[in-house]
Amino acid sequence: METLILMILGIVVAPVLGGLVSGIDRRVTARLQSRFGPPILQPFYDVAKLFGKVKVINNFWQVFCAWVYLIAAALSVGLLFAQSDLLLIFFVQAIGAVFLVMGGLASPSPFSQIGAQRELIQVLTYEPLIILVFASIFMVTGSFRIDEILNYDQPLLAKLPLMFIVLGYALTIKLRKSPFDFSTSHHAHQEIVKGVLTDYSGPYLGIIEIAHWYETIFILGICALFWHTSLVGVVVLLATTYFAEILIDNTMARMTWRWMLKYVWSVGLAMSFVNLIWLHAG
Amino acid sequence: MLPMMLALVILLPLMAALGCYFLRVSTIRTMIVLGTGVCIAATSLALFGQGSFTYSPGTILGISWDSLVTLADFALLFVILYYAFKLKNQLIKVFAVLQIIPLAVFELFFVDHAAEVPAFYADSLSLIMVAIISIIGSLICFFAIPYMKTHEEHLHLVKSRQPRFFFYLVLFLGAMNGLVLSNNILWLYFFFEVTTFCSFMLIAHDDTEIAVKNATRALWMNSLGGVAFVFGMIWAYSVTGSLSIQAILEAGPMDGAMLVPLGLLCLAGFTKAAQIPFQSWLLGAMVAPTPVSALLHSSTMVKAGVYIVLRLAPAYAGTFLSEGIALCGAFTFLACAAIAVSQSNGKKILAYSTISNLGLIICCAGINTTWAITAAIILIIFHAASKALLFLCVGTIEHGIGSRDIEDMRGLYLKMPRTAIITIVGILTMVLPPFGVLLGKWMAIESASGDLFVIVMLSLGSAISLVFWARWAGMLLTGPLREKVPAESQNILTRFTLTVLAAATVVVSLFSPVIYTGLIEPMVGKTYEITGGVFSSPIGVFAVYPIFIILAAAFIYAWIDTKKSGNIQNGASYMCGANVKEPGVQSFIGPMNVPVEIKASNYYLEAFFGEEKLTMWVNFVGLALIVLMLGGAL
Repeated sequence: METLILMILGIVVAPVLGGLVSGIDRRVTARLQSRFGPPILQPFYDVAKLFGKVKVINNFWQVFCAWVYLIAAALSVGLLFAQSDLLLIFFVQAIGAVFLVMGGLASPSPFSQIGAQRELIQVLTYEPLIILVFASIFMVTGSFRIDEILNYDQPLLAKLPLMFIVLGYALTIKLRKSPFDFSTSHHAHQEIVKGVLTDYSGPYLGIIEIAHWYETIFILGICALFWHTSLVGVVVLLATTYFAEILIDNTMARMTWRWMLKYVWSVGLAMSFVNLIWLHAG
Repeated sequence: MLPMMLALVILLPLMAALGCYFLRVSTIRTMIVLGTGVCIAATSLALFGQGSFTYSPGTILGISWDSLVTLADFALLFVILYYAFKLKNQLIKVFAVLQIIPLAVFELFFVDHAAEVPAFYADSLSLIMVAIISIIGSLICFFAIPYMKTHEEHLHLVKSRQPRFFFYLVLFLGAMNGLVLSNNILWLYFFFEVTTFCSFMLIAHDDTEIAVKNATRALWMNSLGGVAFVFGMIWAYSVTGSLSIQAILEAGPMDGAMLVPLGLLCLAGFTKAAQIPFQSWLLGAMVAPTPVSALLHSSTMVKAGVYIVLRLAPAYAGTFLSEGIALCGAFTFLACAAIAVSQSNGKKILAYSTISNLGLIICCAGINTTWAITAAIILIIFHAASKALLFLCVGTIEHGIGSRDIEDMRGLYLKMPRTAIITIVGILTMVLPPFGVLLGKWMAIESASGDLFVIVMLSLGSAISLVFWARWAGMLLTGPLREKVPAESQNILTRFTLTVLAAATVVVSLFSPVIYTGLIEPMVGKTYEITGGVFSSPIGVFAVYPIFIILAAAFIYAWIDTKKSGNIQNGASYMCGANVKEPGVQSFIGPMNVPVEIKASNYYLEAFFGEEKLTMWVNFVGLALIVLMLGGAL
């Protein structure tokens, strides 16, 4: 019963938090660029406006894919709050990723097609890193279950500092921040149309936006596990990490996907190896 | 009752095969195949009621079955030798002789023929295998009936070669059932050779130059496996003094002397399961008609190799050999998934993905904890169903659009909506939770997490396979969908097999907790607690029922909303220009007012994952790992 309540709580609270994070993100980004920026609640206004628009589609499977993307993202956050299994949560999240790509591929627009292919390469880049982060958490705590992990008495950050950086790469890719924003970007100057989202509009774009808020909370929730022992620690860790993300986003230009795949895999794997060998030695 | 059931699953296919061969009337053949399929499928389910058993058939007409098997074995080896001369292939000659002579010496001078060795032994693993072979194999045979008819129409054959085709196809099922039920290692070897020979004949079926070439390759590689088997078997006998596999396993984990023969037997399993560097025969096997590919890749043949490795797992638990097997399997999983990304030939993608998944199963056998063995069995069951479905879909699509290239399947939903959706179901059951294959993958990754190298390879491989599956599923839907697509006409047997298999992949996944408690737990011991359809252990939780229910609701809701979208204003897809208005045309008005047709294709990432680029290195590493595995055993 408690699990169910936690799950519903997660599903209700996460989009609110995610929208706020997105609003703060836009505000801080604006300040970094010497602009004033929109109100913090702007993302909610945007989505509300999208839902008021006329529904326009060019392939009815887009509707299906958008909904499955949203529900899978919400379910993964629900499972995260219900303290389920890390790997399972991640695989449920992957349902959403797959359907987002399928929705992109459903449109014949070449821009949408390229965006979907690039989204897949992004998935390809971050997925092994996230699985390795989970495996390393298992090696420290002896479990993939979040309820068991929370019983561990030290912050994981102490044992897995490099793995946290690896997770940071995955976070950057998942949030589609520069230099890893290939599939679709919020920086208009470097985007080919709107990537995988090209042919989504109105309420269906709104659905995808909400799903993206869920994903933001999902990945921040995983980051929070690295300092689960203190609430202050969690807040400090998340604030620092997210600020670092914004800094990176604003100081980097989009690179090529070839570079991303080579660079992230080699750096990510090297760091994972080093950190895991420390664990074995320690 | 038991002898009757065994005869039904092993000998009935043989009889039916002979029937197909000699009664050359298409209606009779159809009846025989349908009847046999239903019979063995029903029997395989009834066998579950028996539980584990040991059985020896005794004698027939005063001759012991043991000697009959030996006789048939030599006859088969000489037939293979005959083909070696016919094909003028030196390798096959050498390998055939290397099996005949040691086997003769072994039979004549070493084996104690008086010792009582139970011919058959079955536990849950064997019974699950029998069910997979009999049910999925039979469905593939059903599918083959209309398929071969169309296939021969395409080829404009004067004289039908279907009798021969169905002879080997149906015989194959019997041989596989025999293989997984055998306890006497000589019997196992005999059935092993029968599957080798049947696959050779089936791959060569179309009798084109390429078919014969690939069949020859399959024959020599599997004969190499046969040689490894013979030597492993003789060596094992000289150490343990028993032909009974159960006797070998009961001795518990082995040390030094027994590891080499076990390694050799596993090597035989590797060749059968087309593990790197032996993958090329299975890739070549796709020249055969699609039912053959489906049969070889999903339920039979390759699973025989995996079965042998898994069967012997308790004997090498905790040894270096076990670690070596885990590494070999994990490497195959990663390397073949990577190469699959660069492929656009649908059948080849399926072939690489099959080898990759077999690698995962073998890796689980190598990890060799109860969790890993559970994962391996789950993977065997669900991979067989999903992969058979996908092969049959590609076969159907190929007859529909005349191509097996996935680029040509773009927008298949507009032409073959039913097949497209079933293909997508097949793909989703391969990669997404809560379906069985992913359940197995989840168990595999969690049980591998203590092992640094294995977990790295598994995590990379699992991400890579998502790429080629997701894009394939997506591109089937590509297209401007303005209104309802006209329904697709399908042969009744084609529709039946595809629908049954698609439904089975989904429904059986839903029952995975039941399968686990009913079949796997009694055999490997308790690994997961099942409460309310949730797998849980101290290290992980996988909520099958809850996720199934939520996702089912999600799909239904999404579908209702999709249906309602029929009267929504339809937008033109964005092409960076004014779209040409004619219906069915995907073009925009380009420079000089000329319409430009749009074209998009997949990223195949050849710079990273190209087949030519990787194959040589991959084979080299694969070979090195096998040397490491066997050398470490010495």
